[in-house]
Amino acid sequence: MDKYRIKNNIRTLRFFKDEMTQQQLADKVGVTRQTIIATEKGKYSPSLELAFRIALVFDVPLEEVFSYDFEDETK
Amino acid sequence: MSFQEKNITVSLVNFILILGFYLISLFLMIQGESFNSTNVFRLWGIIIVIAVVVTIFATIITHIVSAIIQAIKTKEEPHIENISDERDKLIDLRGTKVTNFVSSIGSFFSMLTFVFGQPPLVMFTLLIFFGVVAQIIGDIFRLRLYRRGF
Repeated sequence: MDKYRIKNNIRTLRFFKDEMTQQQLADKVGVTRQTIIATEKGKYSPSLELAFRIALVFDVPLEEVFSYDFEDETK
Repeated sequence: MSFQEKNITVSLVNFILILGFYLISLFLMIQGESFNSTNVFRLWGIIIVIAVVVTIFATIITHIVSAIIQAIKTKEEPHIENISDERDKLIDLRGTKVTNFVSSIGSFFSMLTFVFGQPPLVMFTLLIFFGVVAQIIGDIFRLRLYRRGF
């Protein structure tokens, strides 16, 4: 089976949302800052509900925040 | 270090101390030839009471002390992030799974002593030993997940 992984643009979206801090995003979606850090780094894949809440905060469709891409192992 | 990580660290230190106390007490019992059911069950009681009471008090004291330190450092009212989100719950669930697994293996080995004709006292002694060890391994696993991100 091909190796796919969930990638995200949270860091970029935060930057364009008046440089929103991780703590501010965490407070808005109701999780801890550590969860936002882990999600941003791609270490933790959030639940569908949290993913939708994050997309709602940035006012963009879900696929603009998260994508399911083939993992390039040469990187 | 997050609220949950502090809790786990306190629990880990607490259970390592309990394990040390348990092993030293057992060693002294065997040395003094007082390894009998009354003393072993008394030790059982002490271990369980310490595990419950000390963990609760140690957690409370740790949070008070860390809040004071944070307030002194930042000169602001301390912000305690005591919410438990989906990632915390998943980490806790995985940690509990590891604890239960080690505990089950430990229980199996404890029961195995009957097969080798050992008295029930040995089984009970091993049972609480594996219980504490399982908790320590579960806490280490949780901490590792928190350090790694997940």
